[in-house]
Amino acid sequence: MNDWTKIRNDFPALERIINGLPVVYLDSACMALKPRQVINAMNEYYEMYPACGGRSIHKFGEEASNAYSAARGKFAKFINAAKQEECIWTRNATESLNIVASSVKLPKGSKIITTSLEHHSGSLPFVERAKRDGHKIEIVKAQSDGTFDIEDWKKAIDSKTSLISVVHSSNVTGTVAPLKEIVDIAHDRGAIVMSDDAQYAPHHPLDVQSIDVDFSAISVHKMCGPTGMGVLYGKMEHLESMDMCLYGGDTVSDVRFENNKIFPEYLPPPAKFEAGLQNYAGAIGAGVAAEYLQSIGMHEIEKHERSLLELALKRLLELEHVHILGTDDITIKTGLVTFNVDTVSSAHDVATFLNEEFNIMVRSGWHCAGPFHYQMGIDPMKGTVRASFYLYNNRSDVDVFLKGIESLIEMSS
Amino acid sequence: MSDFSKNVQCVLEILNNEDSLTTGEILEIARTEDYAELCTDCVGGDTFVAAANQLVEEGLITKKFGKGGYRWQLTKE
Repeated sequence: MNDWTKIRNDFPALERIINGLPVVYLDSACMALKPRQVINAMNEYYEMYPACGGRSIHKFGEEASNAYSAARGKFAKFINAAKQEECIWTRNATESLNIVASSVKLPKGSKIITTSLEHHSGSLPFVERAKRDGHKIEIVKAQSDGTFDIEDWKKAIDSKTSLISVVHSSNVTGTVAPLKEIVDIAHDRGAIVMSDDAQYAPHHPLDVQSIDVDFSAISVHKMCGPTGMGVLYGKMEHLESMDMCLYGGDTVSDVRFENNKIFPEYLPPPAKFEAGLQNYAGAIGAGVAAEYLQSIGMHEIEKHERSLLELALKRLLELEHVHILGTDDITIKTGLVTFNVDTVSSAHDVATFLNEEFNIMVRSGWHCAGPFHYQMGIDPMKGTVRASFYLYNNRSDVDVFLKGIESLIEMSS
Repeated sequence: MSDFSKNVQCVLEILNNEDSLTTGEILEIARTEDYAELCTDCVGGDTFVAAANQLVEEGLITKKFGKGGYRWQLTKE
């Protein structure tokens, strides 16, 4: 049984008082707050052993190498990867998605499938890959409640399909896709699946082996880790066959010079995807973040968030001027709710009002999901409001949020 | 004026030509042909509203919340 108040105290940003009020942080789907454990681990690297990993043979270098390697192991455990070498450090989930979209080998005349619900980072790299190599691209349309009809996937995935990019949990509707079913259909028909787990991994137990997904993209900054860090998980067979994206230091086992020519011999994954000096502090922070979340328990975190979401949804659904985007079935949702209020001219008014009057931090805009906003007839410029919950939020946060919305409606009606 | 970002310049220009506008009205005007050069990343709206808030902080424009949401206008001298 977790002590959620104690957990909340791990996050120093929540100790801030702004304009005499505490912070109600409901923007974790964009950026999660950082616990002391992560901050301390990164500070320790910078203060005690700020050296290059895998290169320098002195004590600092040895400690940096060990910490960097241990971090990968912690992360592999977090997603249950078969081997830690299947986890590549990247800058963010966007980079992870781009690496696969640009470098995975596809037969000529393939079909790539993505969806209307994707974050731009989950669709655009694949749209561009199709354009680059003359592949066909097909879009599976999400239902208006943000769910997918599995029959649409059965129709779309055919023998020509070689690659699928699908968002596991939507950053707009919070709906969780039936990933395992999609993967099974894809594998039956010879296709591989890239899952955008930027929103899923921080909030649910992710087991890449059990789902049997081929690739997964994860944002570390959304899971209590540092910014500028992401992970690309890939099955070793795929990582080995993929082209490299960046060449240079740390990617080679040897670089010979013979007959006035240079002959490189490249290392296997993960090194072949991690050229140049790495973000050691970031990786160390990522490992600690993974360990921190696991120590609390991903099932517990999921349950906690859903209890807050249930509370928020129940009241929001009762409010006359609030229009919720996506399903209200919390059993297939990540802990976020996206909505509009029809008494104001733009979602940005809601975010500005809540911030200025109540210190409630939510996100307004199109959430880098233009296609779904257009599909739903929502002008992306006026946008939608997203409130997202995480392990450090509590019922009081939900109460203040609802009070803020009620006050906004009263004052703007 | 040239020290301001394009978004900030866009908000100022729009409010210079109109009296008082809601957030939605400003965003709609921003994407018209007249402001195409200044309004470079207004599709999502959030950076644009952040720019407007920056002008409020600097005392160049004011915003008031009431029926229909926020109304923005140039600070009267």
